[in-house]
Amino acid sequence: MKDHEVPAHIAEVINKTTDEERAAYLDIVQNGNLVNTRPEQLLLHGPTKRYVDEYLWHSPKVGIVASYSPKERDVQDHFGIFRGVDQVEAFAQATIVSCATFLECRKHNCLPDVLKDKFIPAFISIGNVNFHNYAEAGDTLISLGNIKFYKWRQMVCDGRIYKVPERFDLKEYFEDFNEERLLKYDISKEFKLVAELFDITGRAILIEQFKKL
Amino acid sequence: MSNLKNYKQKMERQEILDGLLEVLRTVRTIDPARLEGVTEETDFLTDLSTPSTELINIAAKVEHKFDIEFEDDDIDRMGSKVKDIIDLIIMVKERGENQ
Repeated sequence: MKDHEVPAHIAEVINKTTDEERAAYLDIVQNGNLVNTRPEQLLLHGPTKRYVDEYLWHSPKVGIVASYSPKERDVQDHFGIFRGVDQVEAFAQATIVSCATFLECRKHNCLPDVLKDKFIPAFISIGNVNFHNYAEAGDTLISLGNIKFYKWRQMVCDGRIYKVPERFDLKEYFEDFNEERLLKYDISKEFKLVAELFDITGRAILIEQFKKL
Repeated sequence: MSNLKNYKQKMERQEILDGLLEVLRTVRTIDPARLEGVTEETDFLTDLSTPSTELINIAAKVEHKFDIEFEDDDIDRMGSKVKDIIDLIIMVKERGENQ
């Protein structure tokens, strides 16, 4: 496979997508949000390094809430614990990659596979992270991210990761969530704080520039 | 006539450099002492030790200072020297006037 080529399993999904499905997704891009869309439609890498299972709440210019449950392969060779660095990766995928890709698709009226031919999503910087707790395989984490800056395909997010209580209906809980509550991290005390993240920054870099780095 | 044009261009670049220095004094990751001898050849990354991430923040402040608007392509093409930013500001200002 050539560098940056769409992986076979993703190409299969894209090729199988009908014109009607693409039109429906474009309508979501222009008029909707990521809730109820599948992460693999937006995050065109994976599957083993895709750390988003579900988008629970999304306001395109404000922020997002998304969940991920670490799998056995994610904790292998690491004390059965989901690594801190992977928590940051999961947060970045849920926030800056998902939100910025969505907004770029909206700007260009296209789907993510079109952007994938032009840009590489790259970490630019990680401001600060404070870890408070840990996660094991089977736990469910949620990332709450708010967008602090977005311009020229660079996005900066602050946010938090929480561990979800067992047998908790996340979909129902976040159905009526809103921007004010996101900015205040106003969620049930049953969620356990796992990490606070500040100034997580990513940018979609032109592929030709990326190759020159 | 050509001398007058050159003089005006030089003055314009100097005014932009002065404005840019005002912007740079507000950037917390740049040591103010390093701004003393800044010329158009000064490189943000190597001479001022500016983190590459800061260039986007500087560009945002420059937009505000000079009342201009950069496109994605402008930022993609932006170099890391002071003269690159000045060239970009002049180009974007001219583009705005032509529109």
